[in-house]
Amino acid sequence: MKVLMFTWEFPPLIAGGLGMACYGMVRALLGLGIKVDLVLPTKELVYFPLREPDDVDKLPAVFLDPKKHTEYISHKFLNIEERLDYIGVTVHPETYLQLGEVQKFVKAIKKEYQRESITQEEREIWEELTAHLMGDEDIFKKVQEYTIRAERFARELDFDLIHAHDWLTYPAGMLARSISGKPLVVHIHATEYDRAGGPGNPRVHRIERAGMMFADKVIAVSQYTAQMVMSHYRIDTAKISIVHNAFSVSDEYHRTKKRIFKGPTILFLGRITLQKGPDYFLEMASKVHKVHPEAHFIMAGTGDMARELLYKSAAKKLGNKFLFTGFLNRQQVEDILRASDIFVLPSVSEPFGISPLEAMAFGVTAIISKQSGVAEVVNHAFKIDYWDVDLMAETVNHLIENPDLCRKIGLEGMEEVNKIHWNDSAEKIRQIYSSTLSEYLKSNP
Amino acid sequence: MLYVVFYFQVHQPYRLRHLNVLDIGKGVDYFDEHLNSQIMRKVTEKCYLPTNKLLLDLIHRYEGQFKVAFSLTGTAIEQMKAYSPEALDSFKELVDTGYVELLGETYYHSLAFLFDTNEFLDQVAMHRDLMKSEFGYYPETFRNTELIYQDSLSDLIYEIEGFHTILTEGVDRILQWRSPLYTYKNYAKTINLLLKYYQLADDIAFRFSDRDWPEYPLTVDKFVNWIDRLTLSEKEGRNLFLNLFMDYETFGEHQWAETGIFDFMQHFPEEILKRPHLGFANPKEAYKLANYQQEALSFPEPVSWADVERDLSAWLSNDMQRNAIETLYNLINLIRQKGDEKLLEIARKLSTSDHFYYMCTKYFQDGDVHKYFSPYDSPDQAYIYYMNALADLEERLQ
Repeated sequence: MKVLMFTWEFPPLIAGGLGMACYGMVRALLGLGIKVDLVLPTKELVYFPLREPDDVDKLPAVFLDPKKHTEYISHKFLNIEERLDYIGVTVHPETYLQLGEVQKFVKAIKKEYQRESITQEEREIWEELTAHLMGDEDIFKKVQEYTIRAERFARELDFDLIHAHDWLTYPAGMLARSISGKPLVVHIHATEYDRAGGPGNPRVHRIERAGMMFADKVIAVSQYTAQMVMSHYRIDTAKISIVHNAFSVSDEYHRTKKRIFKGPTILFLGRITLQKGPDYFLEMASKVHKVHPEAHFIMAGTGDMARELLYKSAAKKLGNKFLFTGFLNRQQVEDILRASDIFVLPSVSEPFGISPLEAMAFGVTAIISKQSGVAEVVNHAFKIDYWDVDLMAETVNHLIENPDLCRKIGLEGMEEVNKIHWNDSAEKIRQIYSSTLSEYLKSNP
Repeated sequence: MLYVVFYFQVHQPYRLRHLNVLDIGKGVDYFDEHLNSQIMRKVTEKCYLPTNKLLLDLIHRYEGQFKVAFSLTGTAIEQMKAYSPEALDSFKELVDTGYVELLGETYYHSLAFLFDTNEFLDQVAMHRDLMKSEFGYYPETFRNTELIYQDSLSDLIYEIEGFHTILTEGVDRILQWRSPLYTYKNYAKTINLLLKYYQLADDIAFRFSDRDWPEYPLTVDKFVNWIDRLTLSEKEGRNLFLNLFMDYETFGEHQWAETGIFDFMQHFPEEILKRPHLGFANPKEAYKLANYQQEALSFPEPVSWADVERDLSAWLSNDMQRNAIETLYNLINLIRQKGDEKLLEIARKLSTSDHFYYMCTKYFQDGDVHKYFSPYDSPDQAYIYYMNALADLEERLQ
């Protein structure tokens, strides 16, 4: 079976959880013998024919234009980064549209700010500038561009089924379905309702609904999300399947504790944005601090509410016990997990939420919002309404006061999530593919 | 007579590295040695060496008639020793002339006076020892960090052997109709006060090269005429003191050599000394020259020389600043109790007022002086690095 897959993120192209979810899922699908032609928002018109599990790291690429492909094949690359740079896979997925200009400009600036003589401060100013230049204000334009390209993939590639992840790629999936006549599966990792904590952008909402209506099958990452799809998008329940996510972390040897603080360490890890409930975390921290001034709270990540949280945390006089890390790369995320005792996910609305699973894999005791999909797949974690800050604080206090219990629950959680594998999710997806195909063939003989 | 009283502030903080939470507990040095040495070298070349040489020439030329005062912080002297010993030597050469007064202050240019009296007194004593060991000098005049002053400060300084005068800002809301040209007494009439004449001092320090300023360019002739006119309004032969207090880096660093600031300074004494009723004095001489009953002035609330508000808002107006400074002094208290000298030295370097100045959000958007002096992109970052340092310090203490 061969799948034409559209997604906006795939490592190293990552902004949020979508990229890591696609990575784990595709790797496992390949292991089941399913072939995937992956289309990303790249600068060049390419797709990635993935055949073996290892291909998710190698990312072999094919240019649709044969002349360009010949050029590409004959080009010598020193490493994968250089090759991906050639194709135009940037680490900022939303930037692919500015194409040459921004790329060239950024390169020119980089040359400037990577000189030896320049100070660290100046370098950071430049980096901030380039990050701002590559903003996402014209995301709809980029979606248009991506959608237009889908036509050629649909006509020129050979596949049995189309799989599109999240609204940014739904229009591309729909177009490909119309042109190829092959069935479409749309995968919901998050809806606008989750991101906005309410109705959100009506344009996005309508694109999401159109994608789900047009699709032959809808995969939701949780029961929680399926419920959301039914109530806010009025999609036929028969069309919806639930496939929970799994997670990928380093081997167990690299997951042993490596503390930063001698005292209890409580972690928030995720984008500092409304959806993730960082303000509830701060409120909880402020309550716990009164009882346990020795506890440290780490807010890891970046986001549009970072400054607000910084100021609020200072106003609450939490001393040097509420700290901010800024953006962390993958290695740093694991370092911070190794240093933590308690993980709190106070999301207002979390379709799934892979990070608690990662935290639990590190033996960190998790407190997760009831308004999350991940709450459906784990038992050895505390599940609390995101707004119930008192209970959240009481729970944290209880864990601080009973460190043995905290450790025990952490280890149980670790054992539990060690049984969660992408292979199981992939197997469910394979079954969905099969049934979609057979239903489709029945109705289109 | 009207005496021009020059006092120059010489200070450099220990700027922090961009500390991350993941650096905590790894024994990382908090201070950005590369940046600090770079700045010290730059200021030495642009300001300290050329200005010291100029002042030395002037002192020699007008032997006894031209004099200036300096306040050198401990953190500046430490960094001179480490990165530009020739700068320290040239200050010593100046002091050796006998016409340069050195003022007393907190070793770390800190806000300890506002938060921890014992720590404040210790830092003042440390600075006193430093002046003695480096220059063989016993300061008689005190200036608190950024000219911060209120009544209770004078009580503390009065208790310290040897100080008889304090410098502060000539704040309008305190002076009201009075002139900053007189020397005053503190509220308890136990100590003398000299007040900065901020209009004229800031003409040199801030406006000298400002082309939008109607008085641009500021010539020596014009400036001395303004000074001369001040004496007309004062009567009965009373000795007056025009207190021109400013950052030493005004010369060559804030105002570049190209602005003509050095030429200005070179010709200024000559023009003053041409006029028989004008001269120079050092702060410690003022009270002896006061040929009148000094009026007592009360400062119930703290004042400073910073920003237009001339209060504490440059260091203590937002939640980040308050949380940071309160956390620091709690920590200093714990370290003092434990008696860990090594950690105390680090904590004291973190007590330098500049760290809180960098966190100021008052004018940050407008790109004003706070931004000019800050080594960080934003007050938020300054706060994040600082709190990471305090978190690490507390871990080391346990």
